[in-house]
Amino acid sequence: MFNINSDSINTLFQKVRKLLFSNLFNTVLSLVILLIISLVFFNIYKWFSLNSSWEVVTTNLPLYAFGSFPTDQQWRPATWMICLLFISLLTLFGPKWKWLRKNLLLAWIITIPLGLYLLYGGFGLSPIMSRQWGGLTLTLLLTIFSALLSLPLGIILALCRQSSLPLIQKSSSIYIDVMRAIPLISVLFFGQLLIPLFLPVGIEIDRVWRAIFAFTLFLSAYIAEDLRGGLQSIPNTQIESANSLGLNQVQIIRFILVPQALRIALPSLTNQAIGLFQNTSLMAILGLVELLGVGRSILANPEFIGQYIEVYVWLASVYWMVCTIMAVLARHLEQRMTINKTNFQKL
Amino acid sequence: MKIMRRFVSGIVGLTMLLTGCATTNQANNSRLDLIKKRNELICGVSGKIPGFSFLESDGSYKGLDVDICKAFAAAFIGDAKKIQFRPLTAAERFTAIKTGEIDLLSRNTTFTLSRDSSEGNGLSFAPVVFHDGQGLMVKQESGLNNLEDLANKSICVGSGTTTEQNINDAFESASLPYTPIKYQDLNQVVAGYLQGRCSAMTSDRSQLAAARSGFKDPLDHIILDDVLSKEPLAPASDGQDQKLGDAMRWVIFALISAEEQGITKSNIYEKVQLAKNNPELKPLRRFLGIDGGLGEKIGLSNDFVVKVISSTGNYGEIYERNLGKNSEVPIPRGLNELYTKGGIHISPPFN
Repeated sequence: MFNINSDSINTLFQKVRKLLFSNLFNTVLSLVILLIISLVFFNIYKWFSLNSSWEVVTTNLPLYAFGSFPTDQQWRPATWMICLLFISLLTLFGPKWKWLRKNLLLAWIITIPLGLYLLYGGFGLSPIMSRQWGGLTLTLLLTIFSALLSLPLGIILALCRQSSLPLIQKSSSIYIDVMRAIPLISVLFFGQLLIPLFLPVGIEIDRVWRAIFAFTLFLSAYIAEDLRGGLQSIPNTQIESANSLGLNQVQIIRFILVPQALRIALPSLTNQAIGLFQNTSLMAILGLVELLGVGRSILANPEFIGQYIEVYVWLASVYWMVCTIMAVLARHLEQRMTINKTNFQKL
Repeated sequence: MKIMRRFVSGIVGLTMLLTGCATTNQANNSRLDLIKKRNELICGVSGKIPGFSFLESDGSYKGLDVDICKAFAAAFIGDAKKIQFRPLTAAERFTAIKTGEIDLLSRNTTFTLSRDSSEGNGLSFAPVVFHDGQGLMVKQESGLNNLEDLANKSICVGSGTTTEQNINDAFESASLPYTPIKYQDLNQVVAGYLQGRCSAMTSDRSQLAAARSGFKDPLDHIILDDVLSKEPLAPASDGQDQKLGDAMRWVIFALISAEEQGITKSNIYEKVQLAKNNPELKPLRRFLGIDGGLGEKIGLSNDFVVKVISSTGNYGEIYERNLGKNSEVPIPRGLNELYTKGGIHISPPFN
């Protein structure tokens, strides 16, 4: 046993030597880089163990999660988030039973009305207005609803851009080009500051929905462009054969164009979704108390003044965690959706 | 594409429907009636200013601006808890009033002519609740006590701000020489001051106090009594709504007047008894709403003062709670004292 051990150590040693210390220049370079890395780690460790005080995070955990949602009702957003997490895990590891796998999509769709019901209340739950939403709940809500609304809008825009009717084609390309030429922050300012001025007195759209509206307007242009790439990569012969089979326009779009375009565009759509999740933090400077906004409000509490680093490190790790979950889910979806050999054999 | 045509006509139809709804206009009532009917006050705050409005760990808002909101809610509705706080950024705050998203603003807003005028932001300001102004902070051990002591010393200041201009004006008018050390923003100014690059730093006094409470040894630093500029911070509402403006004005005056008369949260009911039993205490009876019916003249209940003081205390109590000596952001009262004690807070008579 000892022998095997020393052998493996030996090979490891040789590998390291070959990789890092093969000649003088390499050796010097490796040593310098190792020194820098260890210094960085040492300093981070020193700060973590000596200078940081995590009370600002631990005492405010409910605030980060739910904002100023009434304390006795906080189980509602908590239930929603646990549902989302549970279904994510189920999607990744679970589906051994077929019925479960078939119903997963349905479960994902149900989380949306469920989330709205739990947050807004009514029908037996005490109603809570959207202005009391905050923290991670609000961030997730902004992301999910903006993504959900901008996907169909993006599909429609992409199809319109391919349309043979000049008016529709032109107007959708102008919309896409204009939206892509405006920075997101100005679209958000438009949503928060100008829309209420344009609306007549008495009609008031909620700030949360105004933000979702602005995100949707912006994101759908990008999604449309991603999908256009997918649409263009579908050979024309497929449309011709569909025509000769007697499918009408709507059927061609529904069964041939959109599914393939979505599959091809999936990696870039994932990118958009992750970008969207991080961009929701822009709402902090527009007065919504989402995750970053809550962090900034907590920093104004005299008890926690000056603990910027702890709060921002904590927020960064939360953002990182959610983004990682999203990325892993998307990769899983990609793998499920690729046309592999078994699929061809079935054909 | 038939589906597209259907979609477009659907959109057109929806737009027409929405504009149709839009013509139903709201009745031209005062906002005050709306607040009472809604049984809730919507108050715009900042949510990010230490001592004025910030989020507590339990999710509630606290601070001087927040307490002023509570006083309004107590006066208008009779319950200081029936209140909704809407955190607003500096850019949004005036739009939020104009569009009716909030009832009133209690958000560190400086009272200026252009904000008050109908040509400008068209607001109506209640009396000033906090007289801020540019101040100077020095280290205790330096032994510097006033502006004259700072002659020939260096001062850390944010560049390109009115702050920079004000400190320059102050030293020029006193014909004293000094060396400004300029930084991009407040955090850098603080860092420069702590590193000892300058003998003093300058900013708004409330900001100095907030910065100081984040220092390791806050007591080693003092804010000088010299005030270099005027930043009167006041609650505001829509300028077209005189009824709401009047009500707000007199709630603030009630807070100040109560402090002047020594009426506090703890003795308010004793004072009410006293006034009831002694018909000769006419000013007190009018103030507490036993005689005169003053409250009804501004659209409130006659005993609105009792409701306000019993829920938030008088102005001095509010100040002590949020910015006083024992609070976490101590700011000396200075100009914010009553006129009888060397400050400038004064209330017109309740007649």
